[in-house]
Amino acid sequence: MNEPSVVELLIVEDNPQDLELALRALRQAKLANFIQIARDGAEALDFLLCEGPFADRRLAAAPKVVLLDLKLPKVDGLEVLRRIKGNPRTATIPVVVVTSSKEQRDLVESYQLGVNSYIVKPVNFERFTAAVRDVGLYWLLLNQPPSATE
Amino acid sequence: MPTEAELRATLKEIGDLKAALDEHAIVAITDPQGRISYVNDKFCAISKYRRDELLGQDHRIINSGYHPKEFIRELWATIGRGRVWHGELKNRAKDGTFYWVDTTIVPFLNDDGRPRQYVAIRADITERKAAEETILRLNSELEQRVRERTAQLELTNRELEAFSYSVSHDLRAPLRAIDGFSQAVLEDFGPLLPEEGQRQLQTIRYSSQRMGALIDDLLTFARLNRQDLSKRPIDTARVVRETLAELGFPWADRQIEVRVGPLTPSLGDPVLIRQVWVNLISNAVKYTRRRAVAEIEIGETVVDGQLVYFIRDNGVGFDMRYAGKLFGVFQRLHRIEDYDGTGVGLATVQRIVQRHGGRVWAEAVVDQGATFSFHLGMETRHE
Repeated sequence: MNEPSVVELLIVEDNPQDLELALRALRQAKLANFIQIARDGAEALDFLLCEGPFADRRLAAAPKVVLLDLKLPKVDGLEVLRRIKGNPRTATIPVVVVTSSKEQRDLVESYQLGVNSYIVKPVNFERFTAAVRDVGLYWLLLNQPPSATE
Repeated sequence: MPTEAELRATLKEIGDLKAALDEHAIVAITDPQGRISYVNDKFCAISKYRRDELLGQDHRIINSGYHPKEFIRELWATIGRGRVWHGELKNRAKDGTFYWVDTTIVPFLNDDGRPRQYVAIRADITERKAAEETILRLNSELEQRVRERTAQLELTNRELEAFSYSVSHDLRAPLRAIDGFSQAVLEDFGPLLPEEGQRQLQTIRYSSQRMGALIDDLLTFARLNRQDLSKRPIDTARVVRETLAELGFPWADRQIEVRVGPLTPSLGDPVLIRQVWVNLISNAVKYTRRRAVAEIEIGETVVDGQLVYFIRDNGVGFDMRYAGKLFGVFQRLHRIEDYDGTGVGLATVQRIVQRHGGRVWAEAVVDQGATFSFHLGMETRHE
């Protein structure tokens, strides 16, 4: 992967097949650079808060967007979201929940916690690819984030 | 001055009254300190004391200890002020058994206004109290059972919820992998595969997508049972208008004549009733696909005093012999290659209508069309 300081996109995904398909979709859309992968919630939080193995990272170099699965080992997605949005140092980082679940309570809770967008992964691969591509294009290229503060 | 004869007559009358009272009631008299000065036979019988064991004794000899101190204090305060006390008392007999008496205590006062004696008249209500206690016990047992059953149901509901939550998360992920990697093979190695191999991969993709749709529909259907109904007035005409628009009316690639008659507002859960209309109208659109000019008529009628909505089409219809299967989950009357679908749409319609206390039914003739009718258990106002 790339040098941590230039990470633009953090993907938090425990399912290796979903991860491979997402990376494939991003590659096809020419968005596969500057990606960091976290395989569980704890790793995602370490990365974003520059703790543990990521203690050397600069906090100001926040990713442009976090793609967050909800069902994760160790710390689940909603908890990761709660911690990101509850911490003033990470609250402005856009988080997009990308999950299998259409469950209403997940949707409601995610929005209550301040999620920036919520995508249900389609079973159909073309639609899955299109969803990942659109999310990537929008948050990496189109969206204008506030300038980083530390 | 009354004559002796008059006095005798009065005495006789009082004696008669006392005899009658003794037949009916438990009677005792105490002095102002509560010492027993008189008991009748019924008092002895119920308290199981001999008369000589009672006379001169403190009335508390039959106290049960059941009543709180404040209750007894209130009793004495009432009669001490010269007022009649009335209430139910639990007393204890000599052998330790308890009995209940409906009690009236009448204080008789001296000329100076202080109590001279108290006359207590009682009736045995032990059986009634026992019956009351049985009812109270049965009630509390029943309440306990209801609480237990409710807890069980809540547990089952939570388990079902966890189950469908898990299904919606975990069952779709492998399907996405099956579909995605089949497509990856087609993209990366398509040229190396013979045509038949490509077709087979497409079949894998089609099947996984179909299973995805089945899972989604089944979860939606299962959720119907758990969801609470929130009934509100529904502008039926507007819902139908919006549903038609949502489904693509007027369809550019189809020629469909839609006639919508006057529609009376109804009462129901707006989200769920909208789903009923979506499912029924999209069915009509789907099953008239082979008609050069499709006709769909939406209206209402009154059957047995009930407001019935209907939707009629001139589509393929179905054989009335299979009408019983029409509303079953995953039941389909058409081959999937003719008309796609998961077989959950009409089951959903039926479940929603039934939860509103209504009914849905269908009439059809093969190749001539079908009419679906439903009511929501509402009596019509205009008749």
